[in-house]
Amino acid sequence: MLVYLGRRLNLLFFTLLILCIASYTLAFLFPGDPLTNLSGNPISSEDQAQQLRMMYALDDGYIAGFWQYLKLTLSGEWGLSLTSQNPIFADICQFLPASLELSLYAMAVSLLVGIPLGIAAGLNHRRYTDMSILSVSLVGFSMPVFWLALLLILIFSLQWGGLPMSGRVSLIYEIPQYSGFMLVDILQADIDNKKQVLMDALHHLILPTLSLSIVTCSLVVRLTRRSVINVMASDYIKAAYAKGLSRTQVFWHHGMKNALLPIMPQLAMQFTVLLTNAMIVEVIFSWPGIGEWMMQAIYQRDFPAIRGGMLAVSALVVIVTICVDLLIRTIYPLSKKQLHAQV
Amino acid sequence: MPLLDIKNLTLEIDTPLGLVKALDKINLSIDSREVRALVGESGSGKSLVVKSIVGALSDRWQVTADRMNWKGQDLLSMSDSQRRAITRSEISVVLQNPATALDPSATLREQIEESIADSQLDKGWFWQRRQQRREMAAQQLHKVGIRDHDLCLASYPHQVAEDIAQKFALAMALVSNPKLLIADNPTMGMEPTTKVQVLRLLAKLNKTRELSILFVSHDLLAISAMADTMTVLYCGQTVESGKMSQLKRRPLHPYTKALLDSAPSFRRDLPPKAALSCLDGTIPTLQHLPIGCRLGPRCPRAQKECVKMPDVRRIHDHHYACHFPLHRDKT
Repeated sequence: MLVYLGRRLNLLFFTLLILCIASYTLAFLFPGDPLTNLSGNPISSEDQAQQLRMMYALDDGYIAGFWQYLKLTLSGEWGLSLTSQNPIFADICQFLPASLELSLYAMAVSLLVGIPLGIAAGLNHRRYTDMSILSVSLVGFSMPVFWLALLLILIFSLQWGGLPMSGRVSLIYEIPQYSGFMLVDILQADIDNKKQVLMDALHHLILPTLSLSIVTCSLVVRLTRRSVINVMASDYIKAAYAKGLSRTQVFWHHGMKNALLPIMPQLAMQFTVLLTNAMIVEVIFSWPGIGEWMMQAIYQRDFPAIRGGMLAVSALVVIVTICVDLLIRTIYPLSKKQLHAQV
Repeated sequence: MPLLDIKNLTLEIDTPLGLVKALDKINLSIDSREVRALVGESGSGKSLVVKSIVGALSDRWQVTADRMNWKGQDLLSMSDSQRRAITRSEISVVLQNPATALDPSATLREQIEESIADSQLDKGWFWQRRQQRREMAAQQLHKVGIRDHDLCLASYPHQVAEDIAQKFALAMALVSNPKLLIADNPTMGMEPTTKVQVLRLLAKLNKTRELSILFVSHDLLAISAMADTMTVLYCGQTVESGKMSQLKRRPLHPYTKALLDSAPSFRRDLPPKAALSCLDGTIPTLQHLPIGCRLGPRCPRAQKECVKMPDVRRIHDHHYACHFPLHRDKT
């Protein structure tokens, strides 16, 4: 286990290092002055330029420069945004939780809906339940996220008018930001109409969560269904029936665990897909998350912000992946056979 | 009354080409205290017979039978829970490839303790019962020849060797004190000494605990040492069944004769370096079954009548299905 842990931490360290190298290189590859790209300060005077060159150790060669960049990155000095002149790290800390919140809820919804549906379909293989679940999931699977989001807005916000179409919470409420997670903040906030605000925030959550989770949910359904079908046709399930166990006993003691554990990594990988989709959905629903923020940065050629956002999102994805890997390792016995990381 | 009595068991597999009869009118009966061998080459449907007896079927298989009785009760027409109760307490099975028949994500301890029915425990509190289960499991493992029971029970199936898994499967089948043990190739892959030990254990249980055994195997030597009676399958049809001694001395069906001849240890008159005899060709696949007697294309005695399925004929306890049996030539 220790060797395994060491290997994974090693992997984590080097992936993050490579990410840092890539982001540092980007500053030189982007058009414009590398100094501006690194710091986000438009250079106005020779004096200031000299100061920044000192700060980023640009005159001491690439290695020393990168070392300095690494130190600054770790201490949270990610430079300033070119357009707003806000510190990028603070911006990311503000916007990333909003995206995380959205993706987490979407993930939770798709697992809570997808796994039971997948199991139901798998257990009723080749019957009407299976076929109807499968065809519905195929429709969900093949719909592009942005189109689905627009469709949902069209139906639920414009035609019916029951649900809001943009933002995290109605503009009339003012929520002080602690953690960045809207629901947590509302529960913590010291406001008198808490219930009302909470309902409003939930209303705002419904459409983005739905449009994100429909695609992921159908993926989860298909994964779970396939795995359940394979497991239920396997020899040890037949052997369990031959032992004289009932259908429910067989499923809960032998089927469930073997069906869900092997697909856990794939289910967890959906989180990264979700995060990508979340960026698109955020733009459509004007959700103030990292995706929308990065889109703005890309439109305005705000190179320091693009670099920082890329670093933050990819580091998050890498960390989540490795954590899931470790988690699965501790609970799934068969995975102990493999020592090396798999993609 | 026989313990298990099966008449005209037919198993059809739903394939893209339509229903295929993988088992065609199998007859099989086991008396209590009897050791019956079920013999046939690979692909003859031995394992399918085993699976249809214990109900471990895929949903694409349809089983029909004129009679499938356990102690006079019909297994096919009874409710699921009744049938489960019988398979749980009275019939045990060792399936082929025990390593794949064990749940990969549960330890062997969990799996063997699952096979011990609550009715076998006599202590009251749950910790006492747990203790008792552990002891029973360990004892049973010693009996089948696994010495280090703690290590074995703490392992997962992928961590133990193939022959340990085989022995473990046997222990798991025997721990519930069954009336009938169905053993599908129980000594496969074992070295000769352990094989003898396992066979001896089965023979002992047969004598002392009145355990009936349906012994499915290719191993004619082990069978002739163990079994009282034998049923020979070919390609999903029962070709001959009867007393072991009778069948060995005077097989009536050409296939039984070919099968016995193919084992050199049964032939005393075989000169050194003589060519071993075997039937030409191979067993037909399920997609290309011949009509009538399925041995037809390979049978040295086949004639025009063989395209019709021969009726089962019987001389005392000896059943055979052949138009032109050996030793009984029509003159």
